[in-house]
Amino acid sequence: MNEWNRRQFLKNTSAASLAALAAGVPITSFLSSCSHQISSKADTVILLWMAGGMSHTDTFDPKKYTPFAKGMNANSVLSTFAPVPTVLDGINFSEGLESIGKIMDKGTLIRSYVAADMGFILHARHQYHWHTCYRPPQSVLAPHLGAWIAKQLGPVNTVIPPFIDIGQRFTLGEGEELKAFHSAGFLGNEFGPFLILDPSAGLDSVRPPAGMSNTRFEKRNQLYDELIKQSPVGEFGSDYQKESLKRSMEQAYILLKSPEAQAFDLSKEPKESYDIYNTGKFGLGCLMARRLTEQGARFISVTTEYDPFKGWDTHENGNTRLKEMKKQIDGPVAQLIKDLERTGRLERTLVILASEFSRDMMVEGRPEAKVQEQVEQPDVITDMKNYGMHRHFTDGGSILMFGGGIKKGHVYGKTADERPCKTIENPIVIDQVHQTIYHALGIPADAHYVVEKRPFYTTPDGLGKVEMGLFS
Amino acid sequence: MNKISNHTFRNRKKLGIILLIFLACGIVPLTFFTSKAGPVITPSPDKGSFWLWNLFGHLHPSIVHFPIALILIAAISELFTINNFQSKLRPGINLLVIAGVISSIIAAVLGLLLAGSGDYGKDILAIHQYTGIATACLGSIALFILIQLKKTKDNQLIKYYRSVLFVTAIGVSVAGHFGGSLTHGSDYLSETIPWSEDYKPVTVSNIEFASLKNDTSRLTKKQQADLNIQVRAILAHNCYKCHGPDKVKGELRLDRKDMIFKGGEHGVIITAGNPMESEIVKRITLPSNDKKAMPSKDKRLFETEVDIIKLWIQKGAPWPADADKDIQFRIAKLEPRNPQLPVASAHLNNPVDRWVNEYFKKNNIPWASPVDDRTYLKRIYLDIIGLLPTPSEEAKFITDTRPEKRNLWVRQVLDRKDDYAVHWISFWNDALRNDYTGTGYITGGRFNISDWLYKSLENNKPYNQFVQQLINPEKDSKGFIEGIKWRGVINASQRTEMQAAQNVSQVFLGLNLKCASCHNSFISDWKLTDAYAFANIFADSSLEINRCDKPTGKYTGPAMLWKQLGTIDSSATTKVKRQQLSENITKPENGRLYRTIVNRIWAQLMGRGMVEPVDVMDNEPWSQDLLDWLAYNFTEGKYDVKELIYLIATSNTYQLPSVGFKDPNKIITPDFIFRGMLRKRLSAEQFTDAVSSIIEPVFADSLKGYDPYKNNSPTTVKPIFTRASLVINNPFLIALGRPSRETVSTGRESQANLLQALELTKGKRFNAALLKGAERWKAKYPTSDAIINELYDKAFNRAPTKKEFEVALKALGSTADAASIQDLFWVVLMLPEFQIIY
Repeated sequence: MNEWNRRQFLKNTSAASLAALAAGVPITSFLSSCSHQISSKADTVILLWMAGGMSHTDTFDPKKYTPFAKGMNANSVLSTFAPVPTVLDGINFSEGLESIGKIMDKGTLIRSYVAADMGFILHARHQYHWHTCYRPPQSVLAPHLGAWIAKQLGPVNTVIPPFIDIGQRFTLGEGEELKAFHSAGFLGNEFGPFLILDPSAGLDSVRPPAGMSNTRFEKRNQLYDELIKQSPVGEFGSDYQKESLKRSMEQAYILLKSPEAQAFDLSKEPKESYDIYNTGKFGLGCLMARRLTEQGARFISVTTEYDPFKGWDTHENGNTRLKEMKKQIDGPVAQLIKDLERTGRLERTLVILASEFSRDMMVEGRPEAKVQEQVEQPDVITDMKNYGMHRHFTDGGSILMFGGGIKKGHVYGKTADERPCKTIENPIVIDQVHQTIYHALGIPADAHYVVEKRPFYTTPDGLGKVEMGLFS
Repeated sequence: MNKISNHTFRNRKKLGIILLIFLACGIVPLTFFTSKAGPVITPSPDKGSFWLWNLFGHLHPSIVHFPIALILIAAISELFTINNFQSKLRPGINLLVIAGVISSIIAAVLGLLLAGSGDYGKDILAIHQYTGIATACLGSIALFILIQLKKTKDNQLIKYYRSVLFVTAIGVSVAGHFGGSLTHGSDYLSETIPWSEDYKPVTVSNIEFASLKNDTSRLTKKQQADLNIQVRAILAHNCYKCHGPDKVKGELRLDRKDMIFKGGEHGVIITAGNPMESEIVKRITLPSNDKKAMPSKDKRLFETEVDIIKLWIQKGAPWPADADKDIQFRIAKLEPRNPQLPVASAHLNNPVDRWVNEYFKKNNIPWASPVDDRTYLKRIYLDIIGLLPTPSEEAKFITDTRPEKRNLWVRQVLDRKDDYAVHWISFWNDALRNDYTGTGYITGGRFNISDWLYKSLENNKPYNQFVQQLINPEKDSKGFIEGIKWRGVINASQRTEMQAAQNVSQVFLGLNLKCASCHNSFISDWKLTDAYAFANIFADSSLEINRCDKPTGKYTGPAMLWKQLGTIDSSATTKVKRQQLSENITKPENGRLYRTIVNRIWAQLMGRGMVEPVDVMDNEPWSQDLLDWLAYNFTEGKYDVKELIYLIATSNTYQLPSVGFKDPNKIITPDFIFRGMLRKRLSAEQFTDAVSSIIEPVFADSLKGYDPYKNNSPTTVKPIFTRASLVINNPFLIALGRPSRETVSTGRESQANLLQALELTKGKRFNAALLKGAERWKAKYPTSDAIINELYDKAFNRAPTKKEFEVALKALGSTADAASIQDLFWVVLMLPEFQIIY
């Protein structure tokens, strides 16, 4: 019943009652002569998720560098790393991101992301907002970006699940809050994430159960076919429940048997290439994303994994820990882009690197809407552990985008060079980011799904604006 | 001389016929030419003219079927007798040609009458018109030649006659096709073809606006009303905020007919018939950075919305007086109703059956024979306690010879109060969004009510008390009304008081208050103030009304949604207000509360509610009498849910054969016809418990999120395995459809999908349980024969057929290893017969 298709919806309602039309659903069906199709620029999306809040001034938007010195004034510190040049004239990255710096001629650097103002800052809430485009909580279950795309476009290659979610476990802190958006919500499980908790064991997700040989797996399936044929309920004829069950079992069998499933097997990757990606779970996730893209995936998310106070969630030792984080991402992200470009896939693959918000040493939230501080920050730094970006900053942030029709060698937006290092040019919010992604995929702004008679759009009220300036 | 003249005559005749054919061939291209050059439609009576012409015109669509059928059959017959003109079919074919041609002439004339009066697209009409006329002409020529042929017996004429007849057949097909396009839309055929651009996966009746776009003629009344509603829906959603009852910016109101045509401070905004001259169109099409652009605040209408408004104005901006008739929302009666029960007959004594009998009579549905014992027992076990009957229970039931045995067994199963509670707790956990884990718990923003819930079900708490204790809770039942509190700033429509209002409405009243908690509802008559008044019952002090998350500075007192159910003391504490609500809402006068629960229980047992969706109780039930009677009877009978289940499960209606369906979208449409319970898929919990009971427990005891047996009374019966409903949610149960319980959920998804199939095919936990079970069975049963028989007995309560046995035995071999047993388990559990309740 809850079909997103407008044409279908209208037909149903016109047959039943016009009441639902009063819900203000955009009506396109009867004006068949004027359809507003947009052509797609990308088939596949890879989201590289920097979970936990990645500081912009210590990564892709460095400001004045102040090296650590005992007794230094905290307010004077804008960046804790030296700037290094990128391939783009006059554009520097923070030390440790040299490889990504070298490929910036292939994509766009956004320096003006502004995260939402939602009061008390909780990572899970901002991550929910980033991934669903809706602020939690909602009265209906909002779908993940990947689920929308899966629903709207289906798989690229029918044997590969359209929404693959690599690297996030739900047994860590705030796991329940994370589950709330790693979900297809009201779109239904069919469009939910295919979870690969650990990419190095990715093959386990697509091979017969442990201890079962391929021959045995084959035989089991044969037996299933034979006993279905013999089953006396066959006489009840075909019906929805039965057909839907049989079809899904077939799909699973086909996936497990398919040559494409080898994409999940990272041991098949040549050693040379594997080693470049092997910086940990995230790096291997990038490798798997590349291999899956080659086989026809629709939406893949790879995360550094959110675990409270770990990863990018630096509440102390920011400088020390970021060295580690940069090592994890720098090589694999650059290699992913290079590999996609080499095989000609970058044209039709949109790669996005982003985080739920940024960090600053002093400002919690944003200057005009300060929120309760989460981190003690002494005004005078004596201990290395206080040297880093530890407070949650929502007024500026960096996003990288490559491929899928995005401009090459372009810088979009700007933050202030003095504290607060907030967005001062071309601010971009999550609704725009989502709509831009949908636009690249050819999904129109008014795409929606009717849930409990309410039209629920991909972006709130369908009003998210495409940032055309990002496209070449 | 005589001979010669005869010959000359024949030659002359032939010449004439050839001439006629050339003439006919000329007509078609000529008509195409004229259709471009001259007026398309010949002057003909218009709508205001003599009624008889209109009547004749309307006969065209039915008459046209004659020439199409007759001429085509004539042509086909001609093909079949191509080598023998004087075959036995000759007189028949002649008759077909005569009747076909005459009817084609009549159809053409009627068609011309219709063309003037209808609202048809220009291009298709022109093609249809001229092919139709050409066909009639060609047919006449064919007939003329045929008559000459009969008279003169000149066999040379046969080929001319046949050629013209075949061309006529093609013509009639082409004309027929375009005629069809006119009535059904040009994509009527192509939309069903998957590779066609017009393909539409589902086709319900078309609004038929498609051909209007380029048409300058008038709209029918119905079309005017439809278009008017479409436009107002767009205005409502995008413009009313500033140009409606609450705000009248620029002295302009768009929500009322008189106001919209009056215009605003800058004058008239609509120039009927001329969209481009209309101020409203100019404003909505300005670039968003223009100061005068509307809607303001950078919002834009979708292009299709703009197109609809333009179309409406082009059509003269119709606003029929009775346009609103169609947007009146159906409102179900609040009061209970006790309809007079139809008289019983020998076979139909149960009240449910007596009502269904009335319904069946009305719909001409015969009563089918009840299902056999095996099917019935499986149903009542799964529906009431969520378990499969064991082989020994099955044997006892089959051999039970008491005439009332089905009733007695339903009672007996209902009396298994712990099994009953542990099964129904899943349904209520979904509805009350009570789960053992979930958002909110880590920050103390959510409370679990499992213990209260389990005990309420175990003791079959009267439903009115059940509702009272959830609405006006003690410590152990407060989780439902307290809701889920997120840290930080949240949308005003999601504050916990509003969550309470929404959830009480949805779960207990089958009413959607979610829309109205943000703005006046577009899908019902509920207003923003109604939602706030209801939410204020749960608030310590009155909440400021927010519209679409913007404060309005307005307040309202606490109130019931239906004032006739009682009042709420606005000065009272929250505790007292909740108590007043709990008493008001559970009054027997609140028929809605009891219809809602009766409908939910019915839906659980029968696979579909009498009203669908079960959360929209304003929709019409397929039997109002049955619903009303059951709800009334429920309040008379001490609000006893188990008695309600008993009544349904012992009815002949429940015992009818199950009904399969092809499309789940179709079963919730208003034209649904009830014929028996719909086939249901096992729920995540039913499936897992079935596996646990016949093979090996899937879940360890340690995975329980709630343990009802910890401080149990001596009478508590603990199952031999951990029931799935008590386990903390996990990927296996999620894949099988257990919801996250972050929002209210009153029905499970029944569609199988790839992620679920993968979990079943290769999931660790599931396959490990199967292996463990296989090892146990291998040790326990000496032969493959015994294993196969035991498995079929436990899984299906029947012996395998001879063929099934052979196939299974071949797979196991005479001495089976654990692996083959495990695989046979898996296969049997994946069979539709196992997973679906028939």
